[in-house]
Formats: sequence, C-alpha cells, structure tokens
Amino acid sequence: MKKLILLLAALTAVASASAQKLVIKGSDTLGAKLVPTLAEEYKAKNPGVSFEIAAEGSTTGIAAIIDGTAQIGMSSRRAKPTEVSAASAKGVTMKPTIVAFDGIAIIVNAASPITGLTKRQVEQIFAGDITDWSAVGGTPGAISIYTRNTSSGTYSDFKDLAMKKRDYASSSQKMAGNEQIVSEVAKNPSGIGYVGLAYTTEPGIKVIPVDGSRPSKESVLAKKYPYARPTFYYTNGEPTGEAAKFVDFTLSDAGQKIVSRIGFVPIR
Amino acid sequence: MLHLKSKWLALLGGALIATGSAFAQDSGPLIDILVKKGIVTDQEAEELRVDLVKDFVANTSAGKLNLSSSISELKFSGDLRMRYEYNAQVPELATGAAAVANETSRQRFRLRFNTDVLLQKGFSAGFALETGQGSDSANQTFTGAADDYGVFVAKAYIGWSPNLNWAFVLGKQKNIMYTTDLRWDADINPQGASEIYKSFLTGKDTFEVRAMQHAMQDNNEQVTGAAHRDAWLFEQQAVYTHWFGKDNLSSLIVAAGYSAYNQSVIPTGALNSAAFIGTVRAQNYGTFAGEANLANVNGAGTAFKFYWDSSYNFEASNRAYQVYGLNPALFSKGASAWLAGVGYSYGTGKVMGDYSLKLDYRSVGVAAVDPNMNDSDWGFSKTNQKGFKLALSYNLTDFANFNVTYFDTQIIQHGMTFSLGNLDKSHEVLVDLVVKF
Repeated sequence: MKKLILLLAALTAVASASAQKLVIKGSDTLGAKLVPTLAEEYKAKNPGVSFEIAAEGSTTGIAAIIDGTAQIGMSSRRAKPTEVSAASAKGVTMKPTIVAFDGIAIIVNAASPITGLTKRQVEQIFAGDITDWSAVGGTPGAISIYTRNTSSGTYSDFKDLAMKKRDYASSSQKMAGNEQIVSEVAKNPSGIGYVGLAYTTEPGIKVIPVDGSRPSKESVLAKKYPYARPTFYYTNGEPTGEAAKFVDFTLSDAGQKIVSRIGFVPIR
Repeated sequence: MLHLKSKWLALLGGALIATGSAFAQDSGPLIDILVKKGIVTDQEAEELRVDLVKDFVANTSAGKLNLSSSISELKFSGDLRMRYEYNAQVPELATGAAAVANETSRQRFRLRFNTDVLLQKGFSAGFALETGQGSDSANQTFTGAADDYGVFVAKAYIGWSPNLNWAFVLGKQKNIMYTTDLRWDADINPQGASEIYKSFLTGKDTFEVRAMQHAMQDNNEQVTGAAHRDAWLFEQQAVYTHWFGKDNLSSLIVAAGYSAYNQSVIPTGALNSAAFIGTVRAQNYGTFAGEANLANVNGAGTAFKFYWDSSYNFEASNRAYQVYGLNPALFSKGASAWLAGVGYSYGTGKVMGDYSLKLDYRSVGVAAVDPNMNDSDWGFSKTNQKGFKLALSYNLTDFANFNVTYFDTQIIQHGMTFSLGNLDKSHEVLVDLVVKF
C-alpha cells in the first residue's frame, strides 16, 4: 500500500512538473539571447518551471499562437492583418505585449572606411540600386548584402522601416539569425547587414550611423533613430497561469534589467 | 478588449473604429504621432492597432480578401455593351443574276471582364474574359430562344518590365503596335511575344522600338510542305512621339513599321469576319501611321485630331495573282491601303458630357492588308473597298457612353469573282450603349 501511495505521489509530481512547462516560440532576435536569459532567471526563482524555447523567426511565433502550440509567441514585428484574421477565424485573440524596444543597427566590417550612410543610401544598397562601395564613399568593390531570412520579423520590419517596402536585392544573402549576419560581415570586408542592438558589440563589425543617428537607448526611446521598433510577446488574449507570471516577470524591474543587460532598450 | 486608460485613447479608439474600417488601415502614422506626443503609451498603441485590424478584417469586404503578398496592385475592370446593328452587304453579281438584298438587323451584346495584376520585381499578369470566340468580335446576337452564351479567354499574359525603358510580354495580349483599324481590328489580341524599348530623348520626346511575334496558327508538323509550319506574323515598328504647345497637351505621333509572315497556312477554323483560309505567304507590309492632336483649339478641353494610316504590300503581285488567283490582265494588284481622318472632341471621354466625333476615309487594295486582321465592320473586313467611317460618342455619365457609328463602302475594281474582293457596296449602322466598370 505504501508503495502504491509513493508511486501515485511520484506520478502526481511528474504531472505537476510537466504542467509547469512553458512553450515559447518565435523571433530569433528575442529568442537567441534575451528570452533564454529571462527564462534562466525565472527558473532560478521558480524551480518547478521548465521552458521549451524555439527561436525560428517571428512568423513561427505568431503561427504558434494561432495554432495553439505555444503559450507565448515572440515577435520582433507586429502581427499582419492576415495573421490577425486567421487567428480570429480560429477563435484566437492576438494580444501583443511590448517587452522591449530594439533598434535595427546597420553593420559593416570593422575595417570598412564607411563612417555613415543616409536613409536613402541604405535603401538603395539593400534594394540593389547601389552595388559598389565607391558610390557611397567606400573602397571600390562589390557590396555583399546580408539579410535575415523570410520567416524573420526583422526581415519584414527592415523592409518597412528602411526600404519603403521594396524588395531586397536579388544578390542579397539570407541568414538564419543575427549571429550569422554578424559572423559573415565580420569575415567580409565588403559586407553590410543589419542586426538587433543586442548584437552590435560583437568583434569584427562596426555600427554605422544613419542620417547621423546611432542606435542607442536614448535614440530608440526618443524615436529618433529611424530603424527603432518594439518587440513583442503575443498571447491568446490576456495571458494566464505560468505564461502570465513569465510576462509579468519580463515587464518587472528585474526583467527589464535583463533586457538592458542583453542589449535591448527597456520599456521604461 | 482594449483597456482604455485615458479619455484621449477612448476618444481615439472610438473615432477610428466608428469612422470606418478602411480608415483603420491608414491609421498607423496617426497612432505613431500620438505616441510621440505622449498622448498614448506604446503598449496602448499596440493594442489599439490590433483592435483596428480585427475590426477591419471582421467588418469589411476588403478585410476578408487574402491576396498574395507578391501582388502590389490588383485591378478588375470591364464593360458591357448593348448594340443595335443594321447592315447591308451587296455583292457584285454576274450579269442577269437575281438581286441580293442581304440585309441584317440584329440586337447584340458584348461583355468583357479584365483582371490585371501588378507583381513584385516588375512582373505583371492578367487575363480577360469575353462573350465571343472570334478574335475580331466579342459580340453575341440575342437569339436561340433565350439560350445562354459562352465565355472565352480573350487575354492571358505575363509581362515583365525591369525598368522604364523595357517591357516584355508573353501570351495572348493587347496589341502593342501603333495602328488604326485599317490594318488591325481593335478587338484582336495577338498571341505570342512582344517587346518594347522606350527611350526618353527629352522631356518632350520619346522614341520607341516595338516588336511582336504573333503565333497565328499551330499546324501539324507531320505534314510535309508549307502546311506543316506554324503560321507566324512578325511585326516591327519605330514610334516617335513629341509633345508641344501650352502645358505640352498637344502631340504628334509618327510610326513606321514593317511586318512579314512566314510560309505557312491558316486552315479552316478561323472565325473572323471574312477570314482568309489559306496561305499567309506573300504578305510583306510596309506601314506608316500617325496622328497630330491639337489641344484647346476651341476652348479648354477641346481638341482637334488629324490621323492617318497606310500599308503597302511589297509582294502584292504574288498575293493578288498567285494566292488570290486574280487575272493580271483584268485587275491591278491592289498593293496599297490608306486612311485619313479628322476628329473633334471635348474632354477625355471619361466624364459626363464629354463627346467626340471622328470621320475617316480609306481605300483598301485587294492585296494591301491581311483580311484576317483588319476591321470586321468596315466592309466586313473585305478588301478592294473604299469608303468612310463616321463615329460619334457621348458620355451620358462618367461610366456610360452612347455611341453611333456608320460605315459606308464601295468596290474599287469591278468584276472580281474572288469572294474577298467582290463586295459591291456595304452599309452598316451601329447604335451602342456601353457601361464601363
């Protein structure tokens, strides 16, 4: 009898532990560094909670909320009308919560002589109108463009913010994440790319001011940096249970300190 | 639901939603300004955006459309035309033969529906549906004890224009050549490939080179001889346009071209009016067309136009005597066709009260144009005719036109038994009510 009670107690404990699992999917910008760090801190304070974090792009995070395969969808872009419509059709209410601000930084190789670009030049470079560095005061040579892939929120945000919704140059190379872009630009003296603020301190690259403005906490919060954007958690309506607690933790002073430490701009 | 934290936000949310969901689509910049001014917080703004989008997709027709993100513009258009037609075709008869009245009076309609899509990277595509199968007419005659009518694909094309200078189109498409109905019926949509190169010489001048490869017939390659080849028309044209006068509203267009056919045949099955069934050889045409438009000649909005078109078949002798079988001792080869016309208009034809009047005179030698391509109404597309066309159009509303057109033709060379050239005279009156959408 004692053994049976122990077995039942063990099973209950396992079931309880599995009920504390938080599934978070979506943005690589948020999911590569910030959210795992928040999760570790949260776990330290809440030992019974486990996390499953998949950072494969904002589109996958929003889709996961619509499909009900995650409690929190990370996104570095706003949900599109078609996504809101698809969610409504399934009885899902898309609820955005701003968790941090970000500035999409333009990066070039650390050895590049480029010291600044205008918004027009950025648009022309990424759209393929300008293909040689000499056209913008650089060392003559073909420009190698690195962008995020199409499932990335940063990919579409950059088109909206910097390219007047134009298509990327056909020669642009699509990378899976911010770190891959940093890695390629650091290796390629002719490279240019864009990354979230959290990735701008990596070696081998440098951040280029746009219209004289650098991405920083101040310029992003003041909305003076042209490529500033909010980043989101999406939930199905108001979050509940463990998801609500994790959202609250992210928005708390402790959570926002982590936001700042990782390189994002806190919401206050 | 949005938790409104301030009177400002309550007012804004209510106003945006109440003023219509279409406005919700454009409210992003307004919300951004309110955030910048500190009237709403970033979080409130995001929740408001979602509510506006939800309202848009739930309560508007446009919000329920799910179009590909590759589409930058989708356009639906078309027209419906009701027509009364009277015509008389009087063939030239052998001496002593009984007279033939050959009169027709009929009530007809034409429905056309176009879908045109602009895509990313300079691509475009589209199709058109219409009620007639013959390429030179989409009309259907009310008949058959109220039977229903078929719908046919009149256009299906893919275009690519990488920049302002170049345009390429594949498929069944709008005719790109500058021409009049002396040579090309406006209803005929060629099929194959076309290319345009446009050079902007100055702010007032453009020069274009246009080319078209028109696949007229797919023949059976297993048959030996000319009949096995697919029939193609190759047409090339240089077009110069010059704008002048006050505000550059007046213009001069001059177009010179050359068209040739390969050695092949059009077999039975062609549905056009007076279609020529047989070889397409011995047709090498030089063409010269143009127009001069003088704007505001009689007050604002008025315009006077002079226009012309011409065609000369360099192989008319072979066409007339070998292909058509005419006797060279009795008939001239009829190598040339020409048209000269004048027009007067008020407005652009798109606003209620606009009107236009056009009158042209033309002469068409028996071997001067391709009878499969010329206008199906003027002389019923037969050649060896001369005569005029008078057209009046009046805008009843911005979208509805009342049109009257009269054609009158007479034979040029008498005595031909060849059916394409034996129309003694013809008359036709068309009275149309057209609604465009």
